[in-house]
Amino acid sequence: MAEQLSIPAGVSACAEATTAKEAAFRIDYPLAATRNTRVIALDPAAEEIVRRTASMEWGQARFYSVTDPGLTLVTTAGESVELADALDDSNTVVLVSVDGSNAEAVGTIGAACKVRGIMTAGLVVTPGALTSEALFHLRPHARILLVPAEEDDLVELLRATRA
Amino acid sequence: MLRTEINELLTQTGPGTPTGELFRRYWQPVLLAEELPDNDCPPVRVKILSERLVAIRDSDGNYGLMDEFCAHRGVSLWFGRNEQGGLRCPYHGWKYDYTGQAIEVPSEPETSNFCANVKLKSYPMVKRGDVLWAYLGDPAKQPPLPEWEAYTVPDGQAFTSKRLQECNWLQALEGGIDSSHVTFLHGGNLESDPLFQGSKGNEYNKGDLKPFFEVVDSEGGLLIGARRNAEEGHYYWRVTPWVLPNFTMVPPRGDHPVHGHFWVPIDDENCWAYSFDYHPTRELTGTEVAAMRAGKGVHSANDAAYRPIANKDNDYLMDREAQRRGETYSGIEGIALQDSSLQESMGPIVDRTKERLVATDAGIIKARQKLRKAALALQEGTEPVGNRPQDQKVRSVAIVLPADQSFVEGIGEAMIAKPGVPQTTV
Repeated sequence: MAEQLSIPAGVSACAEATTAKEAAFRIDYPLAATRNTRVIALDPAAEEIVRRTASMEWGQARFYSVTDPGLTLVTTAGESVELADALDDSNTVVLVSVDGSNAEAVGTIGAACKVRGIMTAGLVVTPGALTSEALFHLRPHARILLVPAEEDDLVELLRATRA
Repeated sequence: MLRTEINELLTQTGPGTPTGELFRRYWQPVLLAEELPDNDCPPVRVKILSERLVAIRDSDGNYGLMDEFCAHRGVSLWFGRNEQGGLRCPYHGWKYDYTGQAIEVPSEPETSNFCANVKLKSYPMVKRGDVLWAYLGDPAKQPPLPEWEAYTVPDGQAFTSKRLQECNWLQALEGGIDSSHVTFLHGGNLESDPLFQGSKGNEYNKGDLKPFFEVVDSEGGLLIGARRNAEEGHYYWRVTPWVLPNFTMVPPRGDHPVHGHFWVPIDDENCWAYSFDYHPTRELTGTEVAAMRAGKGVHSANDAAYRPIANKDNDYLMDREAQRRGETYSGIEGIALQDSSLQESMGPIVDRTKERLVATDAGIIKARQKLRKAALALQEGTEPVGNRPQDQKVRSVAIVLPADQSFVEGIGEAMIAKPGVPQTTV
Protein backbone atom coordinates (compact mmCIF):
# COMPACT_ATOMS: atom_id res chain seq x y z
CA MET A 1 0.00 0.00 0.00
CA ALA A 2 2.67 2.47 1.05
CA GLU A 3 4.51 2.27 -2.28
CA GLN A 4 1.51 3.67 -4.13
CA LEU A 5 1.42 6.86 -2.15
CA SER A 6 3.48 9.98 -2.22
CA ILE A 7 6.59 10.20 -0.11
CA PRO A 8 6.40 12.81 2.64
CA ALA A 9 9.04 15.49 2.62
CA GLY A 10 11.53 15.65 5.46
CA VAL A 11 10.68 15.69 9.13
CA SER A 12 7.02 15.04 9.73
CA ALA A 13 4.93 18.03 10.60
CA CYS A 14 2.24 15.86 12.17
CA ALA A 15 4.55 14.16 14.65
CA GLU A 16 5.64 17.53 15.97
CA ALA A 17 2.26 19.22 15.77
CA THR A 18 0.34 16.60 17.73
CA THR A 19 2.41 16.65 20.92
CA ALA A 20 1.00 17.95 24.20
CA LYS A 21 3.81 20.50 24.17
CA GLU A 22 2.65 21.92 20.86
CA ALA A 23 -0.98 21.92 22.03
CA ALA A 24 0.03 24.58 24.54
CA PHE A 25 0.69 26.95 21.65
CA ARG A 26 -2.82 26.84 20.29
CA ILE A 27 -4.01 30.39 20.36
CA ASP A 28 -6.50 31.24 23.02
CA TYR A 29 -9.27 33.74 22.45
CA PRO A 30 -12.89 34.12 23.48
CA LEU A 31 -15.30 32.30 21.21
CA ALA A 32 -18.17 34.34 19.89
CA ALA A 33 -21.56 32.95 20.84
CA THR A 34 -22.65 31.80 17.42
CA ARG A 35 -25.46 29.62 18.62
CA ASN A 36 -28.63 31.63 18.81
CA THR A 37 -31.04 29.02 20.06
CA ARG A 38 -34.78 29.07 20.56
CA VAL A 39 -36.23 26.39 22.82
CA ILE A 40 -39.93 25.79 22.33
CA ALA A 41 -42.15 23.69 24.59
CA LEU A 42 -44.97 21.97 22.74
CA ASP A 43 -47.23 21.06 25.66
CA PRO A 44 -47.75 21.97 29.32
CA ALA A 45 -45.48 19.23 30.66
CA ALA A 46 -42.76 20.26 28.26
CA GLU A 47 -43.31 23.86 29.35
CA GLU A 48 -42.39 22.90 32.91
CA ILE A 49 -39.13 21.39 31.69
CA VAL A 50 -38.35 24.39 29.54
CA ARG A 51 -39.22 26.81 32.32
CA ARG A 52 -36.85 25.07 34.75
CA THR A 53 -34.11 25.07 32.14
CA ALA A 54 -34.72 28.73 31.33
CA SER A 55 -34.03 29.66 34.93
CA MET A 56 -30.35 28.69 34.44
CA GLU A 57 -27.74 30.98 33.00
CA TRP A 58 -27.56 30.99 29.20
CA GLY A 59 -25.97 33.03 26.46
CA GLN A 60 -28.37 33.93 23.69
CA ALA A 61 -30.87 31.13 24.19
CA ARG A 62 -34.50 32.13 24.56
CA PHE A 63 -37.36 29.99 25.80
CA TYR A 64 -40.97 29.74 24.69
CA SER A 65 -44.11 27.66 24.68
CA VAL A 66 -46.56 27.25 21.83
CA THR A 67 -50.01 25.93 21.00
CA ASP A 68 -51.68 25.23 17.65
CA PRO A 69 -51.48 26.61 15.06
CA GLY A 70 -48.05 27.78 16.14
CA LEU A 71 -47.83 31.23 14.64
CA THR A 72 -47.39 32.84 18.05
CA LEU A 73 -44.98 31.86 20.80
CA VAL A 74 -45.23 32.74 24.47
CA THR A 75 -42.15 33.61 26.51
CA THR A 76 -41.60 32.27 30.00
CA ALA A 77 -42.64 35.76 31.21
CA GLY A 78 -45.99 35.34 29.47
CA GLU A 79 -45.41 37.72 26.58
CA SER A 80 -46.60 36.79 23.10
CA VAL A 81 -44.11 36.88 20.25
CA GLU A 82 -44.74 36.26 16.59
CA LEU A 83 -43.00 33.08 15.45
CA ALA A 84 -41.37 34.93 12.57
CA ASP A 85 -39.93 37.52 14.95
CA ALA A 86 -38.64 34.91 17.37
CA LEU A 87 -36.85 33.11 14.55
CA ASP A 88 -35.52 36.27 13.02
CA ASP A 89 -31.92 35.98 14.20
CA SER A 90 -31.94 32.35 15.30
CA ASN A 91 -29.89 29.48 13.87
CA THR A 92 -31.10 26.60 16.05
CA VAL A 93 -34.53 25.61 17.31
CA VAL A 94 -35.00 22.91 19.93
CA LEU A 95 -38.52 21.50 20.17
CA VAL A 96 -39.52 19.76 23.39
CA SER A 97 -42.52 17.45 23.48
CA VAL A 98 -43.90 15.21 26.19
CA ASP A 99 -47.38 14.19 25.10
CA GLY A 100 -47.34 14.88 21.37
CA SER A 101 -50.00 17.59 21.38
CA ASN A 102 -49.96 20.67 19.17
CA ALA A 103 -48.88 18.77 16.10
CA GLU A 104 -49.96 21.62 13.85
CA ALA A 105 -47.61 23.96 15.66
CA VAL A 106 -44.75 21.53 15.07
CA GLY A 107 -45.49 21.66 11.36
CA THR A 108 -45.70 25.44 11.37
CA ILE A 109 -42.41 25.84 13.21
CA GLY A 110 -40.71 23.14 11.15
CA ALA A 111 -41.74 24.79 7.89
CA ALA A 112 -40.62 28.21 9.12
CA CYS A 113 -37.24 26.81 10.13
CA LYS A 114 -36.81 25.05 6.83
CA VAL A 115 -37.26 28.17 4.73
CA ARG A 116 -34.90 30.09 6.99
CA GLY A 117 -32.21 27.39 7.07
CA ILE A 118 -32.51 26.96 10.82
CA MET A 119 -31.21 23.74 12.39
CA THR A 120 -33.93 21.87 14.24
CA ALA A 121 -33.56 19.40 17.09
CA GLY A 122 -36.28 17.59 18.97
CA LEU A 123 -36.45 16.12 22.46
CA VAL A 124 -39.11 13.48 22.92
CA VAL A 125 -39.42 13.36 26.70
CA THR A 126 -41.30 10.10 27.06
CA PRO A 127 -39.40 8.12 29.70
CA GLY A 128 -39.48 4.43 28.92
CA ALA A 129 -41.39 4.84 25.65
CA LEU A 130 -39.51 4.48 22.39
CA THR A 131 -42.45 5.31 20.17
CA SER A 132 -45.03 7.99 20.74
CA GLU A 133 -47.19 10.56 19.06
CA ALA A 134 -44.56 13.10 19.98
CA LEU A 135 -41.93 11.19 18.01
CA PHE A 136 -44.04 10.98 14.86
CA HIS A 137 -44.99 14.63 14.99
CA LEU A 138 -41.44 15.80 15.47
CA ARG A 139 -39.70 13.40 13.10
CA PRO A 140 -40.42 15.18 9.80
CA HIS A 141 -39.21 18.48 11.19
CA ALA A 142 -36.28 17.73 13.51
CA ARG A 143 -32.95 17.01 11.91
CA ILE A 144 -31.93 15.28 15.11
CA LEU A 145 -34.15 13.67 17.72
CA LEU A 146 -33.36 12.37 21.19
CA VAL A 147 -35.65 9.48 22.06
CA PRO A 148 -36.64 9.10 24.81
CA ALA A 149 -34.99 12.18 26.19
CA GLU A 150 -34.56 12.99 29.83
CA GLU A 151 -35.08 16.43 31.26
CA ASP A 152 -31.36 17.01 31.70
CA ASP A 153 -30.74 16.18 28.04
CA LEU A 154 -32.03 19.65 27.26
CA VAL A 155 -29.53 21.23 29.62
CA GLU A 156 -26.71 19.07 28.24
CA LEU A 157 -27.59 19.88 24.64
CA LEU A 158 -27.76 23.60 25.30
CA ARG A 159 -24.52 23.65 27.29
CA ALA A 160 -22.67 21.54 24.76
CA THR A 161 -23.73 23.82 21.92
CA ARG A 162 -22.92 26.99 23.85
CA ALA A 163 -26.50 28.21 23.87
CA MET B 1 -18.16 22.11 24.83
CA LEU B 2 -17.31 20.37 28.06
CA ARG B 3 -16.08 21.93 31.25
CA THR B 4 -12.46 21.11 32.03
CA GLU B 5 -13.31 18.95 35.03
CA ILE B 6 -15.73 16.81 33.02
CA ASN B 7 -13.23 16.46 30.18
CA GLU B 8 -10.68 15.25 32.70
CA LEU B 9 -13.19 12.92 34.30
CA LEU B 10 -13.99 11.24 31.00
CA THR B 11 -10.48 11.08 29.58
CA GLN B 12 -8.53 9.85 32.61
CA THR B 13 -8.67 6.07 33.01
CA GLY B 14 -5.81 5.26 35.36
CA PRO B 15 -6.32 3.41 38.65
CA GLY B 16 -8.53 5.30 41.08
CA THR B 17 -10.04 7.67 38.52
CA PRO B 18 -13.84 7.54 38.13
CA THR B 19 -13.77 6.55 34.47
CA GLY B 20 -10.84 4.22 35.12
CA GLU B 21 -12.88 2.45 37.75
CA LEU B 22 -15.79 2.28 35.31
CA PHE B 23 -13.57 0.58 32.71
CA ARG B 24 -12.46 -1.85 35.39
CA ARG B 25 -15.97 -3.27 35.52
CA TYR B 26 -15.67 -4.68 31.97
CA TRP B 27 -13.70 -7.38 30.24
CA GLN B 28 -11.45 -5.52 27.83
CA PRO B 29 -9.46 -6.70 24.81
CA VAL B 30 -5.80 -6.65 25.81
CA LEU B 31 -4.06 -8.74 23.15
CA LEU B 32 -4.76 -10.52 19.92
CA ALA B 33 -4.53 -14.26 20.49
CA GLU B 34 -1.79 -14.35 17.83
CA GLU B 35 0.46 -12.40 20.20
CA LEU B 36 0.70 -15.40 22.52
CA PRO B 37 0.56 -18.09 19.85
CA ASP B 38 2.07 -21.09 21.70
CA ASN B 39 2.68 -22.48 25.13
CA ASP B 40 5.93 -21.06 26.56
CA CYS B 41 6.09 -18.41 23.85
CA PRO B 42 7.89 -15.14 24.67
CA PRO B 43 6.13 -12.85 27.17
CA VAL B 44 4.44 -9.73 25.84
CA ARG B 45 4.30 -6.30 27.42
CA VAL B 46 0.78 -5.00 27.95
CA LYS B 47 -0.18 -1.48 28.93
CA ILE B 48 -3.84 -0.90 29.59
CA LEU B 49 -5.69 1.69 31.64
CA SER B 50 -2.30 3.17 32.58
CA GLU B 51 -1.07 -0.08 34.15
CA ARG B 52 2.09 -1.79 32.93
CA LEU B 53 1.69 -5.53 32.79
CA VAL B 54 3.25 -8.58 31.19
CA ALA B 55 1.28 -11.39 29.60
CA ILE B 56 2.32 -15.03 29.26
CA ARG B 57 1.02 -18.36 28.05
CA ASP B 58 2.55 -21.01 30.24
CA SER B 59 3.59 -24.60 29.54
CA ASP B 60 0.03 -25.84 30.11
CA GLY B 61 -1.61 -23.16 27.97
CA ASN B 62 -2.78 -21.02 30.90
CA TYR B 63 -2.91 -17.32 30.11
CA GLY B 64 -1.47 -14.96 32.72
CA LEU B 65 -1.49 -11.19 33.00
CA MET B 66 0.54 -9.69 35.83
CA ASP B 67 2.60 -6.75 37.02
CA GLU B 68 5.40 -6.21 34.52
CA PHE B 69 8.07 -5.79 37.18
CA CYS B 70 9.77 -8.40 39.33
CA ALA B 71 8.93 -8.11 43.03
CA HIS B 72 12.61 -8.37 43.91
CA ARG B 73 14.39 -5.42 42.27
CA GLY B 74 11.86 -4.10 39.79
CA VAL B 75 13.30 -5.66 36.64
CA SER B 76 10.93 -5.84 33.69
CA LEU B 77 9.73 -9.39 33.31
CA TRP B 78 9.50 -8.86 29.58
CA PHE B 79 13.13 -9.99 29.75
CA GLY B 80 11.97 -13.10 31.58
CA ARG B 81 12.24 -16.72 30.52
CA ASN B 82 8.81 -18.27 30.01
CA GLU B 83 9.48 -21.96 30.61
CA GLN B 84 8.51 -24.96 32.69
CA GLY B 85 5.33 -23.60 34.18
CA GLY B 86 6.17 -19.97 34.79
CA LEU B 87 8.00 -16.78 34.01
CA ARG B 88 11.50 -16.50 35.47
CA CYS B 89 13.23 -13.18 36.01
CA PRO B 90 16.64 -13.43 34.37
CA TYR B 91 18.29 -11.21 36.99
CA HIS B 92 18.21 -13.48 40.07
CA GLY B 93 15.95 -16.29 38.92
CA TRP B 94 12.75 -15.48 40.75
CA LYS B 95 9.94 -17.39 39.06
CA TYR B 96 6.21 -16.69 38.90
CA ASP B 97 3.30 -18.83 37.79
CA TYR B 98 0.53 -17.53 35.51
CA THR B 99 -1.35 -16.06 38.49
CA GLY B 100 1.69 -13.98 39.50
CA GLN B 101 2.43 -16.20 42.47
CA ALA B 102 6.15 -16.57 43.17
CA ILE B 103 7.04 -20.25 42.94
CA GLU B 104 10.82 -20.10 43.15
CA VAL B 105 13.26 -17.72 44.82
CA PRO B 106 16.63 -19.44 44.31
CA SER B 107 18.48 -17.39 46.91
CA GLU B 108 16.20 -18.67 49.69
CA PRO B 109 16.66 -22.06 51.41
CA GLU B 110 14.84 -24.84 49.60
CA THR B 111 12.44 -25.32 52.51
CA SER B 112 11.70 -21.62 52.92
CA ASN B 113 8.10 -20.43 52.80
CA PHE B 114 9.20 -17.04 51.48
CA CYS B 115 7.53 -17.59 48.09
CA ALA B 116 4.11 -17.93 49.61
CA ASN B 117 4.19 -14.29 50.58
CA VAL B 118 5.30 -12.95 47.21
CA LYS B 119 2.63 -12.49 44.59
CA LEU B 120 2.59 -10.02 41.75
CA LYS B 121 -0.68 -8.26 41.16
CA SER B 122 -2.42 -10.15 38.39
CA TYR B 123 -5.67 -10.18 36.48
CA PRO B 124 -7.73 -12.92 34.85
CA MET B 125 -7.20 -13.18 31.11
CA VAL B 126 -9.21 -15.44 28.81
CA LYS B 127 -9.36 -16.21 25.10
CA ARG B 128 -12.64 -15.54 23.33
CA GLY B 129 -12.49 -15.79 19.55
CA ASP B 130 -9.19 -14.39 18.31
CA VAL B 131 -8.78 -11.95 21.21
CA LEU B 132 -7.48 -12.21 24.79
CA TRP B 133 -9.66 -10.37 27.28
CA ALA B 134 -8.75 -9.20 30.76
CA TYR B 135 -10.70 -7.99 33.73
CA LEU B 136 -8.83 -5.46 35.87
CA GLY B 137 -11.50 -4.75 38.46
CA ASP B 138 -12.71 -5.95 41.82
CA PRO B 139 -12.81 -9.78 41.66
CA ALA B 140 -16.07 -9.76 43.58
CA LYS B 141 -17.67 -7.71 40.81
CA GLN B 142 -16.33 -9.70 37.87
CA PRO B 143 -19.00 -9.85 35.15
CA PRO B 144 -19.74 -12.88 32.95
CA LEU B 145 -17.30 -13.52 30.11
CA PRO B 146 -17.77 -11.33 27.04
CA GLU B 147 -20.61 -12.41 24.78
CA TRP B 148 -20.08 -10.14 21.77
CA GLU B 149 -21.25 -11.96 18.68
CA ALA B 150 -17.96 -11.47 16.85
CA TYR B 151 -16.30 -13.59 19.54
CA THR B 152 -18.89 -16.33 19.81
CA VAL B 153 -19.36 -17.22 16.12
CA PRO B 154 -17.65 -20.40 14.89
CA ASP B 155 -13.98 -20.29 13.93
CA GLY B 156 -13.38 -18.83 10.49
CA GLN B 157 -16.31 -16.40 10.66
CA ALA B 158 -14.46 -13.55 12.38
CA PHE B 159 -11.27 -11.52 12.08
CA THR B 160 -9.84 -8.95 14.50
CA SER B 161 -6.99 -6.51 14.01
CA LYS B 162 -5.52 -4.01 16.42
CA ARG B 163 -4.06 -0.63 15.71
CA LEU B 164 -2.25 1.89 17.85
CA GLN B 165 -4.00 5.23 17.96
CA GLU B 166 -1.93 8.01 19.45
CA CYS B 167 -4.60 10.01 21.24
CA ASN B 168 -6.99 9.65 24.14
CA TRP B 169 -9.55 6.88 23.88
CA LEU B 170 -12.53 9.25 23.97
CA GLN B 171 -11.48 11.02 20.78
CA ALA B 172 -11.45 7.67 19.03
CA LEU B 173 -14.76 6.52 20.51
CA GLU B 174 -16.50 9.72 19.56
CA GLY B 175 -15.48 9.13 15.96
CA GLY B 176 -17.23 5.79 16.15
CA ILE B 177 -20.42 7.40 17.39
CA ASP B 178 -20.37 10.34 15.03
CA SER B 179 -22.18 9.14 11.90
CA SER B 180 -22.29 12.55 10.28
CA HIS B 181 -18.63 12.55 9.22
CA VAL B 182 -18.96 9.46 7.04
CA THR B 183 -20.40 11.26 4.03
CA PHE B 184 -17.43 13.60 3.91
CA LEU B 185 -14.38 11.81 5.17
CA HIS B 186 -15.12 8.31 3.90
CA GLY B 187 -17.39 9.16 0.97
CA GLY B 188 -14.74 8.21 -1.57
CA ASN B 189 -14.32 4.72 -0.14
CA LEU B 190 -17.83 3.32 -0.36
CA GLU B 191 -17.39 2.05 -3.89
CA SER B 192 -13.64 1.57 -3.93
CA ASP B 193 -13.16 -0.46 -0.74
CA PRO B 194 -13.71 -4.18 -1.37
CA LEU B 195 -15.36 -4.57 2.03
CA PHE B 196 -17.98 -1.88 1.35
CA GLN B 197 -18.55 -1.76 -2.39
CA GLY B 198 -21.58 -2.88 -4.33
CA SER B 199 -24.38 -2.53 -1.79
CA LYS B 200 -27.72 -0.92 -2.44
CA GLY B 201 -27.18 1.05 0.77
CA ASN B 202 -24.29 2.88 -0.88
CA GLU B 203 -26.72 4.33 -3.41
CA TYR B 204 -28.95 5.65 -0.64
CA ASN B 205 -25.89 7.09 1.07
CA LYS B 206 -24.81 8.93 -2.03
CA GLY B 207 -28.34 10.00 -2.90
CA ASP B 208 -28.97 11.83 0.36
CA LEU B 209 -26.01 13.70 1.78
CA LYS B 210 -27.91 15.30 4.64
CA PRO B 211 -29.20 12.54 6.87
CA PHE B 212 -31.52 13.04 9.81
CA PHE B 213 -30.54 11.45 13.11
CA GLU B 214 -32.38 9.82 15.97
CA VAL B 215 -30.48 9.07 19.16
CA VAL B 216 -32.30 6.41 21.12
CA ASP B 217 -31.49 5.50 24.69
CA SER B 218 -30.92 1.77 25.05
CA GLU B 219 -30.29 -0.36 28.08
CA GLY B 220 -26.60 -0.85 27.35
CA GLY B 221 -25.89 2.54 25.81
CA LEU B 222 -27.31 4.20 22.72
CA LEU B 223 -28.68 3.38 19.30
CA ILE B 224 -27.86 6.07 16.78
CA GLY B 225 -30.09 5.94 13.74
CA ALA B 226 -29.14 7.85 10.60
CA ARG B 227 -32.06 8.24 8.23
CA ARG B 228 -31.83 8.94 4.52
CA ASN B 229 -34.43 9.08 1.80
CA ALA B 230 -35.07 5.80 0.01
CA GLU B 231 -37.89 4.96 -2.40
CA GLU B 232 -41.07 7.03 -2.17
CA GLY B 233 -42.54 6.83 1.32
CA HIS B 234 -39.54 4.97 2.75
CA TYR B 235 -36.40 5.78 4.66
CA TYR B 236 -33.03 4.02 4.61
CA TRP B 237 -31.84 3.62 8.21
CA ARG B 238 -28.32 2.91 9.38
CA VAL B 239 -28.32 2.06 13.07
CA THR B 240 -25.10 2.20 15.09
CA PRO B 241 -25.08 0.73 18.58
CA TRP B 242 -22.80 2.08 21.25
CA VAL B 243 -22.44 -0.07 24.36
CA LEU B 244 -20.74 1.33 27.43
CA PRO B 245 -18.02 2.15 27.73
CA ASN B 246 -16.12 1.66 24.47
CA PHE B 247 -17.88 -0.61 21.96
CA THR B 248 -19.32 0.58 18.66
CA MET B 249 -20.51 -1.23 15.55
CA VAL B 250 -20.80 0.00 11.99
CA PRO B 251 -24.04 -0.73 10.13
CA PRO B 252 -23.57 -3.45 7.49
CA ARG B 253 -23.48 -3.07 3.74
CA GLY B 254 -24.87 -5.82 1.52
CA ASP B 255 -23.56 -9.26 2.42
CA HIS B 256 -20.19 -7.91 3.47
CA PRO B 257 -18.98 -8.90 6.94
CA VAL B 258 -20.19 -6.69 9.78
CA HIS B 259 -17.63 -4.62 11.61
CA GLY B 260 -17.01 -2.65 14.75
CA HIS B 261 -14.49 -1.51 17.30
CA PHE B 262 -13.40 -1.47 20.88
CA TRP B 263 -11.46 1.66 21.83
CA VAL B 264 -9.21 0.54 24.67
CA PRO B 265 -7.22 3.08 26.70
CA ILE B 266 -3.50 2.31 26.90
CA ASP B 267 -2.88 5.42 28.95
CA ASP B 268 -4.50 8.84 28.78
CA GLU B 269 -2.73 9.76 25.55
CA ASN B 270 -2.89 6.52 23.56
CA CYS B 271 -5.39 3.80 22.86
CA TRP B 272 -5.77 0.58 20.92
CA ALA B 273 -8.44 0.27 18.29
CA TYR B 274 -9.49 -3.38 18.26
CA SER B 275 -11.39 -3.63 14.98
CA PHE B 276 -13.36 -6.71 14.05
CA ASP B 277 -15.22 -8.11 11.10
CA TYR B 278 -17.49 -11.13 11.26
CA HIS B 279 -20.30 -12.77 9.41
CA PRO B 280 -23.10 -14.35 11.44
CA THR B 281 -23.82 -17.17 9.03
CA ARG B 282 -20.77 -17.98 6.92
CA GLU B 283 -17.01 -18.18 7.00
CA LEU B 284 -15.08 -15.17 5.81
CA THR B 285 -13.66 -15.74 2.36
CA GLY B 286 -9.95 -15.77 1.67
CA THR B 287 -10.38 -12.62 -0.37
CA GLU B 288 -12.12 -10.85 2.50
CA VAL B 289 -9.49 -11.83 5.06
CA ALA B 290 -6.73 -10.81 2.65
CA ALA B 291 -8.39 -7.41 2.27
CA MET B 292 -8.65 -7.02 6.05
CA ARG B 293 -5.00 -7.93 6.51
CA ALA B 294 -4.10 -5.41 3.82
CA GLY B 295 -5.83 -2.63 5.77
CA LYS B 296 -9.11 -2.38 3.90
CA GLY B 297 -12.47 -1.78 5.51
CA VAL B 298 -12.08 -0.73 9.13
CA HIS B 299 -8.58 -2.20 9.41
CA SER B 300 -5.14 -0.75 8.76
CA ALA B 301 -1.82 -1.97 7.42
CA ASN B 302 0.47 -2.09 10.44
CA ASP B 303 4.04 -2.79 11.42
CA ALA B 304 4.99 -5.66 13.73
CA ALA B 305 4.13 -3.56 16.78
CA TYR B 306 0.62 -2.86 15.42
CA ARG B 307 1.42 0.76 14.67
CA PRO B 308 -0.04 1.79 11.32
CA ILE B 309 2.52 2.04 8.56
CA ALA B 310 0.95 5.39 7.71
CA ASN B 311 1.37 7.31 10.95
CA LYS B 312 2.15 10.76 12.25
CA ASP B 313 5.89 10.28 11.71
CA ASN B 314 5.35 10.15 7.95
CA ASP B 315 2.37 12.52 7.81
CA TYR B 316 0.13 9.49 7.30
CA LEU B 317 1.53 9.22 3.76
CA MET B 318 -0.60 12.18 2.79
CA ASP B 319 -1.29 12.06 -0.96
CA ARG B 320 -2.52 15.43 -2.20
CA GLU B 321 -2.69 14.15 -5.76
CA ALA B 322 -5.10 11.34 -4.80
CA GLN B 323 -7.10 13.95 -2.94
CA ARG B 324 -7.21 16.16 -6.03
CA ARG B 325 -8.26 13.24 -8.18
CA GLY B 326 -11.13 12.55 -5.78
CA GLU B 327 -9.88 9.12 -4.77
CA THR B 328 -9.74 10.15 -1.13
CA TYR B 329 -11.41 13.09 0.53
CA SER B 330 -8.65 13.94 3.00
CA GLY B 331 -5.66 12.66 1.05
CA ILE B 332 -5.20 9.79 3.49
CA GLU B 333 -5.70 6.25 2.28
CA GLY B 334 -8.00 3.89 4.18
CA ILE B 335 -10.97 4.47 6.43
CA ALA B 336 -9.18 3.65 9.69
CA LEU B 337 -6.33 6.05 8.98
CA GLN B 338 -8.67 8.71 7.67
CA ASP B 339 -10.24 8.69 11.12
CA SER B 340 -7.15 8.31 13.27
CA SER B 341 -5.12 10.93 11.40
CA LEU B 342 -7.74 13.56 12.17
CA GLN B 343 -8.39 12.37 15.72
CA GLU B 344 -4.66 12.40 16.48
CA SER B 345 -4.38 15.87 14.96
CA MET B 346 -6.55 17.16 17.80
CA GLY B 347 -3.63 16.48 20.17
CA PRO B 348 -3.18 13.77 22.80
CA ILE B 349 -6.20 14.95 24.80
CA VAL B 350 -8.34 17.48 22.99
CA ASP B 351 -9.41 20.53 24.96
CA ARG B 352 -13.18 20.19 24.78
CA THR B 353 -13.74 23.57 26.39
CA LYS B 354 -12.91 25.00 22.95
CA GLU B 355 -15.42 22.95 20.96
CA ARG B 356 -18.34 24.33 19.01
CA LEU B 357 -20.67 21.39 18.89
CA VAL B 358 -23.80 21.49 16.78
CA ALA B 359 -27.16 19.83 17.22
CA THR B 360 -26.17 16.89 15.03
CA ASP B 361 -23.50 16.07 17.62
CA ALA B 362 -26.30 15.01 19.97
CA GLY B 363 -25.10 11.38 19.91
CA ILE B 364 -21.70 12.45 21.22
CA ILE B 365 -23.31 14.75 23.79
CA LYS B 366 -25.57 11.98 25.02
CA ALA B 367 -22.77 9.41 25.16
CA ARG B 368 -20.62 11.73 27.26
CA GLN B 369 -23.55 12.31 29.56
CA LYS B 370 -24.14 8.57 29.98
CA LEU B 371 -20.45 7.89 30.58
CA ARG B 372 -20.24 10.64 33.19
CA LYS B 373 -23.37 9.45 34.95
CA ALA B 374 -22.17 5.83 34.93
CA ALA B 375 -18.75 6.76 36.32
CA LEU B 376 -20.24 8.91 39.07
CA ALA B 377 -22.97 6.39 39.87
CA LEU B 378 -20.35 3.67 40.27
CA GLN B 379 -18.67 5.81 42.91
CA GLU B 380 -21.99 5.76 44.73
CA GLY B 381 -22.23 2.00 44.42
CA THR B 382 -24.44 1.61 41.35
CA GLU B 383 -23.03 -1.03 39.03
CA PRO B 384 -22.81 -0.06 35.34
CA VAL B 385 -24.56 -1.58 32.32
CA GLY B 386 -22.88 -2.89 29.21
CA ASN B 387 -21.08 -5.76 30.93
CA ARG B 388 -24.03 -8.13 30.94
CA PRO B 389 -24.53 -10.71 28.18
CA GLN B 390 -27.88 -9.20 27.21
CA ASP B 391 -26.19 -5.83 26.55
CA GLN B 392 -23.56 -7.47 24.38
CA LYS B 393 -25.80 -9.54 22.12
CA VAL B 394 -26.25 -6.56 19.86
CA ARG B 395 -25.95 -5.93 16.14
CA SER B 396 -25.79 -2.93 13.89
CA VAL B 397 -28.55 -2.76 11.28
CA ALA B 398 -29.15 -1.30 7.85
CA ILE B 399 -32.77 -1.39 6.76
CA VAL B 400 -35.41 0.33 4.62
CA LEU B 401 -38.59 1.13 6.53
CA PRO B 402 -41.86 2.93 5.81
CA ALA B 403 -41.53 6.61 6.60
CA ASP B 404 -44.15 6.47 9.33
CA GLN B 405 -42.46 3.71 11.27
CA SER B 406 -40.21 4.14 14.29
CA PHE B 407 -36.84 2.64 13.48
CA VAL B 408 -36.75 0.91 16.83
CA GLU B 409 -40.09 -0.75 16.10
CA GLY B 410 -39.16 -1.41 12.50
CA ILE B 411 -35.93 -3.22 13.20
CA GLY B 412 -37.59 -5.33 15.87
CA GLU B 413 -35.20 -8.06 16.95
CA ALA B 414 -32.76 -7.38 14.15
CA MET B 415 -30.55 -5.59 16.68
CA ILE B 416 -30.30 -8.76 18.76
CA ALA B 417 -27.52 -11.17 17.88
CA LYS B 418 -28.84 -14.67 17.35
CA PRO B 419 -26.63 -17.59 16.34
CA GLY B 420 -27.09 -18.59 12.72
CA VAL B 421 -29.46 -15.73 11.90
CA PRO B 422 -28.25 -13.43 9.09
CA GLN B 423 -27.63 -9.76 9.75
CA THR B 424 -30.25 -7.24 8.61
CA THR B 425 -28.61 -5.31 5.84
CA VAL B 426 -29.16 -3.40 2.61
